[in-house]
Amino acid sequence: MEVSTYLWLGIEAVFAGPTAFSILGVSVSIALTMVFAGFLLGIVVGSTPGLAGPMAMAISLPILISIFGYSPDALLPVFGFLIGIMKGATVGGAVPAILFNTPGTPDAFMTTLDGHPMARKGEAARALRVAHVSSASGDTFSDVALIVCAPFLAILVEAYLDLPEKTALLILSMAFIAAVVGGSPAKGLISAALGLLAASVGTGEDFTPRLTFGFDSLASGFPIVTAVLGVLILGEVFKAIEEMWHERGRDAATTNEQIQRPGRLDRETLRRIFPYVVRSSLIGTAIGALPGIGSTLAATLGYTSGKLLHARRKADDEPAFGDGIPEGIAATEAANSSVSGANLIPVLSLGVPGNAAAVFLILAADSIGGFNPGPSVFRFTTDSINPELVIAFGLFTMMMVANLVNWTIGGVFMRSMGAMTRIPKHRLLPVILLLTLTAIYIQETKMAALWFAVGFGLLGYVMRRLAISPLPFIIAFILGGRLEETARQAFSATGGDPWFLFSSATSIALLVMTVAVVAVLSARGRALV
Amino acid sequence: MRKLVLTALALGGMVAANISSAFAEWAPPGPIKLTIAFRAGGGADTQARLIAEHLEAEKGWKIIPENVTGKGGINALKALKDQPNDGTAIAIVVTESLGYNLVAAKNSGLSVSDFTPLTTTAGFQMGVVAKTEKGWKTFSDVIEAAKGGQAIRFGVMSPKLDDLAYMLGKAHGVEFNTVMLRGGKGVMNGLNAGDIDVGWGAGIQNAAVQSGDMVNLASGLSTKLSISPDAPTMEELGVKFNADGYFVFVAPAGLPNEARTALSEALSSVAADEATKAGGMIKKAFGGAQIIKGDELDAIVSAAADASAELMNAAE
Repeated sequence: MEVSTYLWLGIEAVFAGPTAFSILGVSVSIALTMVFAGFLLGIVVGSTPGLAGPMAMAISLPILISIFGYSPDALLPVFGFLIGIMKGATVGGAVPAILFNTPGTPDAFMTTLDGHPMARKGEAARALRVAHVSSASGDTFSDVALIVCAPFLAILVEAYLDLPEKTALLILSMAFIAAVVGGSPAKGLISAALGLLAASVGTGEDFTPRLTFGFDSLASGFPIVTAVLGVLILGEVFKAIEEMWHERGRDAATTNEQIQRPGRLDRETLRRIFPYVVRSSLIGTAIGALPGIGSTLAATLGYTSGKLLHARRKADDEPAFGDGIPEGIAATEAANSSVSGANLIPVLSLGVPGNAAAVFLILAADSIGGFNPGPSVFRFTTDSINPELVIAFGLFTMMMVANLVNWTIGGVFMRSMGAMTRIPKHRLLPVILLLTLTAIYIQETKMAALWFAVGFGLLGYVMRRLAISPLPFIIAFILGGRLEETARQAFSATGGDPWFLFSSATSIALLVMTVAVVAVLSARGRALV
Repeated sequence: MRKLVLTALALGGMVAANISSAFAEWAPPGPIKLTIAFRAGGGADTQARLIAEHLEAEKGWKIIPENVTGKGGINALKALKDQPNDGTAIAIVVTESLGYNLVAAKNSGLSVSDFTPLTTTAGFQMGVVAKTEKGWKTFSDVIEAAKGGQAIRFGVMSPKLDDLAYMLGKAHGVEFNTVMLRGGKGVMNGLNAGDIDVGWGAGIQNAAVQSGDMVNLASGLSTKLSISPDAPTMEELGVKFNADGYFVFVAPAGLPNEARTALSEALSSVAADEATKAGGMIKKAFGGAQIIKGDELDAIVSAAADASAELMNAAE
C-alpha cells in the first residue's frame, strides 16, 4: 500500500468515522467534534493563569476513556480532544500576558514584554491579533515538519538499529532529558533515577513481583496514571496551595487597562512581523524536535534572536523590543507555538515523550491500547493495512483540522477570554484537586490508587520545593519498563553478552554522546531551561 | 379435611415453585467483575470485552471489565482468588496461566484448586514463524543455518514458550538465543524490524502467512496448523512437549454448580456463535471458536499442570 493510500485512510478515519451529529444533512464525525471541543477548552485553560494545557489533558483523559471505552475506535476522538487542548492552550496563554501582564502559561512570559506595553497604549486588540497570527503560523509550520520528519526517522531507526543500539538510544534520550530539563543536570539525573526506581516496582520478568514488600496492590506496579497525575498535577496543586498560604492577606493589584479599540491587522503589520514569525518558527521547531527542551526555551531564544535582528534593522528613533511592538509578540508566540508539533517527532518515531503534553498522548495510547507510539507504527505494509499507521495519519489530519479551527475562529474566541484571568486561585485549586482525584479513581477504581497518587503528589511537591524538575521523573517512569525490556532482549539476543552495549560502533557512539551531554551541561553549571 | 387438602395443595405449590425456579434461568446476584489478564486493546482483550458486551445486551447482566496484566496471568488470578464465588467474579486467562505459570510462580500462594474453570473460547494456532525473505522453507533450514554457525534469535512471549524453544534446539543439538518479547504483537514487530530471526506466533501471523509475507516453519501444537498443514509438529521434531493452549474463563473455587453451568453456557454460546460480534472476531483472529467445558476442561487443566512440571525439569 502506498503512502497516499494511508494518507487517505487517515483522513477518512477522521472525517468519516462514527457520527456525532449532522448539520443540514452533513454529518460531523465524533473525532472532529472532539478536536473542536478540545481546542475551545484549551483556549479557556490557557487564558486562565494557574491552569495549563497538561493539567486539562490529565484531568480529561480518564473521563474521555470512561466515555469512549477501550476499543481502538476510541483512539481518534481521545487524541483529537487532547491535541485540541494542546493547541488551544498554546494560543490562549498570550491573552492574560497581553491584557494583564500575567502569563497564562509559563512559555508566554516573553509575550508580556511587548504585549502588555501595547495593551497599555490601547492596542490590546491589535496585540492579540498579532499573537494569534504568529502562534497559528508557528504551530502549522511545526506540524508540517512533524508529518514530514517522523516517518523517515522511524524507518531509519527500524532499519539501522539493532536491539543493543535501541537500548543505547533509550539511555541517551533519558540522559539528555534529565540533563537539559530542570535546575541542574545533577538534579535532573536524581529525578530520572527516582522515576526508574518507581517504575521497577512490581515489574520484571520473574513470576514473583519485586519490591512490593508483600503488598498485593503493588504486584502490578504503580498504575501509570497515579504517578503521572500525582507528580505533575497534585504536586503542582500542593505547591500552589502553599504559595497561597504565604500570600494571604496581600492584595493582588489587578491592572485593568485594556481599551478595546478595533485593531485590524493591516498589510503593513503583517509584512513587518513576517520575518520574525519565520525565524522563530524555525527555532521553535528545531528545539521542539529534541526531547525534553520545552517551549519556554524556544520562546526565550525566539525573542532574543528577534531582538537582535530588530536592533540591526531599525532606525534609531523607532521603538525597540520591549517598548510594545508587534515584532516582539510575533517572535515569542511563533517560537513557543512551533514547539508543540515538533515535540511529537520523538514520540511517534521513537516512543520517547519530550514534554508534558506528549506524556499525556502516550498515556492515552497506553491506556486505550491498539496504538503503541514508536518506530513500528510507520511500517508501510504492502499486503494488509497497518491499523496503527492509519491512526498516525488520522492524528496528523486532526492536527491540521485543529490548525484550521485555530486560523478561522481561534482569534475571535481568544479575544473574548479576558474574564478568565479574574478567577481567584482559591476557587480554582480545590476544583482541580477534586477533578484530578476523581479522574484517577474513574480509571483505576481502587482506593489504593488514590493513596499512591497522593504519595506521588507529595513527592512532586518536595521535588518542586527543592527545584528538581518532575518531568525527568515522569519520562523515566514511562520509559523505565521499555529500557529494561530492551536491555534484557539485547542481552539475550547477543547470546548473553554482558558487554552488548559496546558491541557496535553506533551503540558506542550513542553512549559517548550520553556521557558528553551530561558532562558538558554539568560543566556549564546550569541546565538550558 | 378441607384444611388438610389446602395445606397439601399449598405445599405442593411451594415445591412446584421451587422446582420451576431451579429451572428458571440462573442470574448473577449482582454485577459481574470480569478480570482480563491481557493488555487493553489486544486481540484477547477485545474478545473478552465483546463477549461481555453481548451478554449485557442479551441477558441484562451488568459486567464490569478490568485489565489486570502481568506475570503471565498470575496477577489476574491473584485478583480473582479472593473475590466472591457466587458468579459475580470471573476472569479470562490462558490455560498456560493455570498450568505452567502457576507451577513456576512458587511464591504466589496460588494453586490450580483455587479456581473453577468455566469454558475455553478459542485455541492458539501456535507456529514457529519467520519472514519469507529469510529463504527458510521449513524448520530444518533453521537448524542447518544454526549448525552453519549463524546465531539464531528466537522470539518468545512466555517462559513456557522459552522452554519449548530451548527444547526444540536441544533436540537438534543447537542453542538458540531466545529473546523475551511482549505478546504476539512484540514478536511480529521484532520479525519485521529484523531484531529476531524466528519467533512464536499464536495466530497473529495468519494474515501475513496467507499473503506470503511470512511462513510457518513448524507447528508448536500436538496437531498440524490449519493454514500450514506441511509444517511439522513438535512431536515430529522430536520434542514431546507442546504449546497446546486456549483462552479460558475461570471463577474462584467453590462456585455452585448451577452458576458454573449457567456461566459456561452463556460465555461459550456467544464465543461459538459467529453471527455475534464476539464470535465473528474470534473467527477472524483465532481461526474460530474451540469450546471445552465441564469435566473435559477440568481434565485438560490438570493434565497441563503435570506436563508443565515435567517440561520445567526437562529444560533445567
